[in-house]
Order: sequence, then C-alpha cells, then structure tokens
Amino acid sequence: MNAEELKQLKEQALEETAEAGSNEALEAVRIRYLGRKGVLQEVMKGLKDQPPQDRPLIGQLANELKQELQAALTDKTAALEGATEGPETLFDYTLPGDWHSMGTRHPLSKITERAVAIFRSLGFTVAEGPDVETVYNNFDALNTPPAHPSRDMQDTFYLDNGDLLRCHTSPVQVRYMQKHRPPVRIIAPGRCYRRDTPDATHSANFHQIEGLYVDEQVSMADLKGTLSYFAGEMMGPGVKIRFRPHFFPFTEPSVECDFSCHVCGGAGCRVCKQSGWIEILGAGMVDPNVFRAVGYDPERITGYAFGMGIERIAMILYGIHDIRMLYENDVRFLKQF
Amino acid sequence: MKLPISWLKDYVDFDDTVEGLSDKLTFSGTEVEGIIRVGSDYCGVVAAEVKAVERHPNADRLSVCEVFDGTDDWQVVCGAPNVAVGGRYPLARIGAVLKGGFKIKKSKIRGVESFGMLCAEDELGLSENHEGLMELPGDAVAGTPLSEILGPPEVILELEVTPNRPDCLSVLGMAREVAALYDTTVNYPDVSLVEAGAAVESATRVDVLDPERCPRYTARILRNVKIGPAPDWMRKRLEYAGIRPINNVVDITNYVMMECGRPLHAFDQSLLQEGRIEVRTARAGEVIRTLDDAERPLQPDMLVIADAANPVAVAGVMGGAGSEIRETTETVLLESACFEPDGIRSTSKTLGLSTESSYRFERGTDVGETEWASRRAASLMQQFAGAETAPGVIDVFPYPPAERNIVCRLERVNSLLGLRGSMNELLRCFALLGLPVVASDESFCTVNVPTFRGDLEREVDLIEEFARLYGLENIPERSPSGRIVKEANDRRVRALYACQANLCALGLNEIQNYSLVSPKLLDLFDGGKSKERETLPHPISADQSVLRTSLIPQMLDTLGKNHARQTHEAGLYECGKVFLHQADGQSPVEVERLCAGLYGPVGRERFDRRRPVAPDEMFLWLKGLFEGLMAAQNVGGWRLTPLENVFLEKGYAVQILLGDQPIGLLGVVNRSVRGAWRFNEPVGVMELDTNELLVHAFSIREIVAPGVYPPVERDVALVADCSLTHDEILRVIEQAAPKALEKVELFDLYEGETIGAGKKSMAYSLTYRSWDKTLTDEEANEYHNGVKRALRESLSVEVREG
Repeated sequence: MNAEELKQLKEQALEETAEAGSNEALEAVRIRYLGRKGVLQEVMKGLKDQPPQDRPLIGQLANELKQELQAALTDKTAALEGATEGPETLFDYTLPGDWHSMGTRHPLSKITERAVAIFRSLGFTVAEGPDVETVYNNFDALNTPPAHPSRDMQDTFYLDNGDLLRCHTSPVQVRYMQKHRPPVRIIAPGRCYRRDTPDATHSANFHQIEGLYVDEQVSMADLKGTLSYFAGEMMGPGVKIRFRPHFFPFTEPSVECDFSCHVCGGAGCRVCKQSGWIEILGAGMVDPNVFRAVGYDPERITGYAFGMGIERIAMILYGIHDIRMLYENDVRFLKQF
Repeated sequence: MKLPISWLKDYVDFDDTVEGLSDKLTFSGTEVEGIIRVGSDYCGVVAAEVKAVERHPNADRLSVCEVFDGTDDWQVVCGAPNVAVGGRYPLARIGAVLKGGFKIKKSKIRGVESFGMLCAEDELGLSENHEGLMELPGDAVAGTPLSEILGPPEVILELEVTPNRPDCLSVLGMAREVAALYDTTVNYPDVSLVEAGAAVESATRVDVLDPERCPRYTARILRNVKIGPAPDWMRKRLEYAGIRPINNVVDITNYVMMECGRPLHAFDQSLLQEGRIEVRTARAGEVIRTLDDAERPLQPDMLVIADAANPVAVAGVMGGAGSEIRETTETVLLESACFEPDGIRSTSKTLGLSTESSYRFERGTDVGETEWASRRAASLMQQFAGAETAPGVIDVFPYPPAERNIVCRLERVNSLLGLRGSMNELLRCFALLGLPVVASDESFCTVNVPTFRGDLEREVDLIEEFARLYGLENIPERSPSGRIVKEANDRRVRALYACQANLCALGLNEIQNYSLVSPKLLDLFDGGKSKERETLPHPISADQSVLRTSLIPQMLDTLGKNHARQTHEAGLYECGKVFLHQADGQSPVEVERLCAGLYGPVGRERFDRRRPVAPDEMFLWLKGLFEGLMAAQNVGGWRLTPLENVFLEKGYAVQILLGDQPIGLLGVVNRSVRGAWRFNEPVGVMELDTNELLVHAFSIREIVAPGVYPPVERDVALVADCSLTHDEILRVIEQAAPKALEKVELFDLYEGETIGAGKKSMAYSLTYRSWDKTLTDEEANEYHNGVKRALRESLSVEVREG
C-alpha cells in the first residue's frame, strides 16, 4: 500500500467512525482498522515489501492514521454516551460513599494496646494470669497483712471454695516470678474485681495494667525514667511526671505518680481540676517480703512495680464522665473510637 | 484526719503559708486532700441585742425587730424562728460583706424597711447551719465585734493518713512531721500534776487477765470533779476535728486523743462495782448497753473492760452507758490503755461499730506514751474540771517491748533509690525525724526506733523515710534500659490483638461486658442449668451474681439494648473469658471466647437497607464473617455440622468443628429468645474458643504463583430439588473436573413459581485454566461437558445449557 492509498484509507476510516451510530459499530471500526488482524496491522506487515526510501513516510502515515483514528474513536464514544445521558448533567459526587466501614476497638482495648505497645518498645513482654486467684497469690505473697481491710468480704469477691476474683493484677507478678528467675520485665493487663457499688467512678469489674522489672541494681531512678517515658508516649509529648510518697503493702518505698495535664500543660484546666496534675498510677520498689515469698534473694536483686487503672486513663483521655458508659456498649458511643 | 492549724501551732513553730505547708505535707507522704477555712474577720458584724420583736404586718413568717448595736437602735426584718427579746445575735450592719461577697444594704422587705441583717451560722461561713440565728452568749456586750467573740478565723487541713502511719492520726504526730520538714522542734505540752489525797492504789485495783490483747493498762483516780462544759477553745477545736463536745471530762479525753493519738476513757468510779477494773474477754451471754444506747450482745472473743461483775466498756471500741460520766459524777477513773490491733478490728467489725477509738487502736498505738496521755488528761482535768488527782498511777505493763535497733547501709540506700547520697545526709534525715542514731560509720548507721514509730521494722522502712524527706523530686530519672529477657514470650497476646484488629477490619465494633451476669439472663440460654454455673456467695446484687458461662447472653442483651434505642443495625464482637464451673470445689476453668452478634441490614449495600432482612441472609452474613476470620487467622480444616440448640433457630444453627473437635457455634437466634428483646427480625450470633484461632496467627504459608495463561469461563445452570445442597453439588463438580478447574462460583440462586414448587435454580461459573498452556475452546468445552454430565448422572438434576 503506497502513501496515497494510505491517505485514502485514513479518510475512509474517519468517515466510518463519524457514521457509526452505536458502541457496537464503533467497536467494529476499531477492530477492522486497529485490531490484531486489522488493516493497519497488514500495512505494517507489508512495510518490508516497500522500497526502502518509501518506508519512513509510509510508517509515519500509518502512525498518523492510528493516532487520529484512536482520538476520533474516543471522541465519538464520548459523544455517544453524552447523547444517551442528556445534556450537561454531571455525576453527583456528593452522594454518600458505599463501602463497608471498619469496625472499632473498644476504648479500654485501645488504651490497653497502646500502653502495652509502649512498654513492649522498652523490652517488656506481656504476662497473663487467671481472674480467679488464690488468697495466697492475691494477698499473702504480696505482703498484705492478714487483717488488711481489702481482704474483707465487703471488698473482695470470694468463691465458695475460698478462692477469689483478683482485686488487682499484682498476683500476675507472683505467678511470673514463681516460674522465672530474674531478670523479669513484664507488663500484665487484665480484668479485676472489687465489691464496689456501681456509680459514676466505680465498677465492680474493671481493668488494670501492672508492670514489673526485677534484676540486679534496679532503682527508683529507673522507675522514674521508665514512667516518665511512658507518660510522654501515652498522653503526649511534654507530659511530665511527679512522685508523691504513698503506702502499698507490696512496695517500699511506695509512691503515687501524677502526670502533668496533657490538656493545659500544667497551667490548670477543667480536666486536671485546676491543679495542673492528674493522678494516674501507683508504684514503688518491690517489698523484700514479696521477693522472699517467691524465693528471690532481696539482698541480691531489687525491682520496681507499678499499676494503673485502664478505665481511669480512658476516661481522662476521651473525656468520659461516667465509668458505666464504658460497659453500656451503645453503638453510637463505640463508633467514635 | 482534720487538723486545725492553730492547734498544730501550739506544738511547732513554722513560718509558711497554708499552701506551702500543704505542699510540703503532700510531698512527704501525708496527702492534704482539702483545706477548709472557717470564719473570717467578720468586718461589719457585731453582737446585737434584740429589744423588741413584732409580727411583720405583711408576712406571717417574718418579724420586725428592734435591735441595739451598742450605739443605736435599728429596725431589722428577720425570718428566723428563734429570734427572742433579750437574745444576743450577730448583726451584719449596713456595709458589711458576708460569705460569697454578699453585701448588706438598707432594704425594704415586704414593705418594711430593714437596716442590717441578723445572721445564722451559714451566712457567716461558720457551718452549714441555717436553722436559726446564731445565738451568742448572754453576756456578749452589744457592739462587740464578732471577731472578738469568736476569735480569729481557722484553717483546717483534711489529711489522708496512710495505714502505715497511725502516729500521724494526732496533732502531735503531725507536729513531729512538720518539725522534720521545717527543721525545728516539737514543744510538748506541760503534764505536771499536783497530787492530793489517798493514793490511787488504795482507791482502785486493775487486773489484766489477757495481757496479750491488753499489753498495757493505766488507771488514775480524779476526785471532786465538777462536771460542766469544757472551755470554748477546747470545744471549738474538737468540733473542727469532727468530734461533738459533751462535757469537760469527756471532752478532755477526746482532746487528748486528738492531741497525742491515744484514745482514753473516763468512768464514773461510783458506778463501777467495787470501783475496780478487770480487763478480760467477754463471758458467754454477756450483754452491754454502749454509750450510743444500743444493747450489744458480746462474743467470747471480745475483749471487755469490766468491773467486779459486768462489762463496763467494749475495750478500745466504746464505753458502756452504765458507767458513763454524768452531771453528778465526782470521782473519775481515767483509763489510758493499749490494746492489740487485730482484736479491736475484729470486735469492731463483728459489732458493726467503728469509732475514733477503734480506728486508732486498729492501726496501732504507741505503747510508750500510754502513761503520758493519762497524765496529760489528768492535768487538763485539774485545770478545767476542778479535779484533784490521787497520787500515783496504776500501770499494768508486764512485758515492755525490747529496744529495737535497725541497721541502715548507705550503699543500700543509694542503690535502691538510684542516688549518690552521703552519710551526712542520711544522719541529718534521721535527726530531723527524731530517730536517734546509736552507732554509725561512713558506710552504715544504727537507728534506735522510738515507740511512736511502730511502723519502722526493717532497713527498707528507713530507706523510705530517707526518700520522702530527701524529696522524691530529687531522685533522678534514669533513661529506660535493661537486659533483654530472652525466654519471654507474649505471642498469644499479640495474636489476640491481631485477631481483634481483623474483626474490626471485617466491620465489627468491639464491646466489653461484665464478667458477672444475672442468672435470669443465663436461664434463657442454658435452660436454667444453675448447677453448671459458678455463683458468688456474696454478690453485690442478683444482677451480677454469676460468672458468665458464655458471651452470647450478654451479646444478645447488648444488641437488644441498642435495638431499643432505635439503632437500626449493629455488628458487634467481644473477646473475653467465660468461667466453667467444676465439681469437687475446684475453681472454675477460665476459657477465652470470641463472640459476634448481628442484627439489621449490616451486610447490605447502602441503597438497599430498608428491605426486611431474611434469616437466610443473616445466616450467610454470619458465615461469611466466620470464613473471613478463619482465613485471616490462617485456620483451615474447619467444617460445619447441623446443631440442635435451645436458643438458635432450627436449620439456621451449626456447630463449628476443627478436625473432630467442636470449637464453637453460629446461627440465627430463635423467635422465643429474640422476642425477649422485642426483635421482630433475625439476629445472628457466633461464639468460638479464641485460642483455636490464635495458633496459626503468625504462621507463614508458601504462596501459589498466579497462573499466567488465559482462563476460560463457562457457566452451568441447574434446576434441582430444594433439598439438594450446595456442598453436594460442589463435590460432584470437583470430582468430575480436571486439574484445570481453578474456581467454582455460585452466582445465582432462585426459587420461584416459574420453576415449580420445591425446586430451585442454581447457576455456577466455572473457571478453567491450565498451568502450562493456553486452553483451547475445544478443551474447555470437553471439561465442561464432563462436569455437566456428572451433574446429570450423579444428582439427577436438570442441567441447562449456557
């Protein structure tokens, strides 16, 4: 096919395109000219039979034909669509999207996982224990005096066989140390139970995270450094900690730990009740009697432990004013997390 | 404990603001929970005498008074019921500013002019009392500023004293703390006595029959006591501390208790049989009427103070009404004793009677100061009750405790706290706290523990003392570091978190329900098998009295509550423990479960949500969810079998098996159970043993490379009896098809009149693809015909061409 014939072919193809009245007709034109066994393919195959000096021109014309025809086909396709849809009405992109949405984690799980992730990054691993505990693990091994009020039936749920529902996650410490030699570095999130009458800040069923680090030469300065890092990661950069002396049977010295208010930065606001600080956790150096109970030598090793309430942190971070909301499981609440 | 600051200042001198003191106390271990300010300078308020009272012409409850303020008479309208001619009351003159910035102006009340206001206690900020006008003493001279009558304003600290520091439950105990914090000394009050008359030994006798539970008992005799009110300052201090004043003798015992922490008791000796004391346990059948006028039966393990015949006090808890101080009392037997804490605690608990006295004895009192407290009270009774103290004291103290010395090593202090403190700092701290050091060198010191610090028993107790005085803020923060713990393993928990993330990706919202449930709720689901549940013997309420045996009941309840709140759909899951009751007194076995629940058109696309949901759809959504979860958790080899179940709809209930082991169930809840929450639409639930889903969470499987040759798709439609299952059809197709069958998909399912009753039409799309070449149409047709033939022959169904 020479150059002149090729030009004619182009005219013919464009004319057929213009005349095609349906998508099917257009597709037929496309296949006839541009298809795998189409006219243009034949032209290219025949190129080698042309005199060498003509080949560039024919090649160029064939290319022109291809591009112009493709453009014409595209335009005509659009024109045909426009014709069926009517004039100038664009798709309403403001319609609601339609894809199933992700579910959400419960706020208590979110806080737990976040705290666990922070401590895992410091080399802590998660340890677990049962909700039903022995009196020994829950109280005795944790240096709780025999007459301590928390042992009372008014405060702790006992089962018929004398075991109890753990009132803190600390028995996980005991279980873990009984089975492992130092170094021990664990974080133990879990459900706890106290015989509290439910109200806005009390729930008979609640969650704690316990932390324990035991090795040679662990000091209160280590505890401070670790909790300080945690405060910044959990509540936001710039959040600081402070210790106040306190008393727990299983640690000595014992402290309560406040975080500087993540909302006002310490200036005082509604969240921190104008004090600039929020009480978050209890901590201390593991009491030598706890080490003795698990067969560790308190002269050789030391350690720190800390514990915090997950509900409390969730309530502070999310601005939840009633603890019962966390267990209502209202979908309108859950979907916000 | 409530600590009036003026009282504290009687014993320790320090120069600081209330806020400064409060901070120092909080950061040394005694948290200040509140600061109460009582009174003010009452500027513009004076004592006034009411000269005349008349009914207000326009109001029944108001009166119009003529009031003299020392210089002039004023007309004042008053609404108080207790206003009386001749009475003295505080008058806020015009211009005075009361509590809350309330300014007194000349005003007209129901048409009558009023020049000032007669005040009740609450209006002056003295208390919450608004029952009537505050009555001033009859000798108050009209015109005297109220501040001169009431004295200066007071600040009261509300302290949280930790259980290890009973010594801080007293003003002197706190004075010791304050002295340590401000590097000053405690001035103990004078306890000198002028003794007269016959010696105490001739006047009474004390027999302690249980010295273990009463390590020390002292008694003094005070004669010629004149009962009357205690001085105002003492009454006021007691009120500030939260104790109701009664009479001078009783108030003095309470005052000394607040002062030094030692609960005392005063008996009217004339009301004691034989005038003597026996400390013993109660005898069977003994009963005592206590000061609160309650008859209390005594148990044989309760320690009592008795006279020659009967109990006259429950030791350390409360005195008896029969020997109490009354207006006619002349001779007082003053008890200052030390009781062992555990016995007091159990007695107080058994009687349901907690007092300031039992509170202190339960926590431990200082045996060393027993006699001092008695002397102090006697000295005050001499001053304020006209008492004459009989010479001497009976002091039964058979086994004084041994001296206690504790060695404290500097190296231990520093290594536990992460410090580099010096021995001088350590010694200084002990000196400030009043803890005598009996020996020391550069590496250790030995502390002789005074009796008022019974909590100090071990080296670590001293380290804590040092830490709180040195200042926790001065302990450095050391960057987190530590040895990696090689054998530590928390894969299970990580797998669980990943599983929960997958459930969220599948579109479910996580819930958390209590572990304790109502037995009534469980009845719906287990047919009332209450013996298979762990029931708490002492629940808070019946609603939370049983440990849950399944997550499904509360899931249904949660779905139902949301439904009741007009939420039209929900897809929820919970991961939690269930508790399986064991026979033979074993504790319940805890099993981790995963539960999902659905209602409403959760599986539909947006524009098709109003059409009612059919049980078929609900079941298939649930099954799809289950399949998706199993795929995400790498769990293969599961199968479903039909299940008979009390709460699931027949036909829409299956058991989930892994191998041959049941691991859960899924299905659509039956009408009677869902009716309990007024559901008129299908509700789907699923419950699984979580741990089975976690085993392979982190397993890695080799992938199958996707085929590169083009596929050939062929459809087959068949009409079959409704009883024929998809599974059966699949099995035939898979058996008949060659290796090249890559995929079978059901793409249409239809039941309707056009194909006849009891029949259904099912259309499958089959994809053939060869691993090593492009399939020709002829080859594909041959495969497909084979499939169709097999379907016709094995299942006797009508296969349509397509």
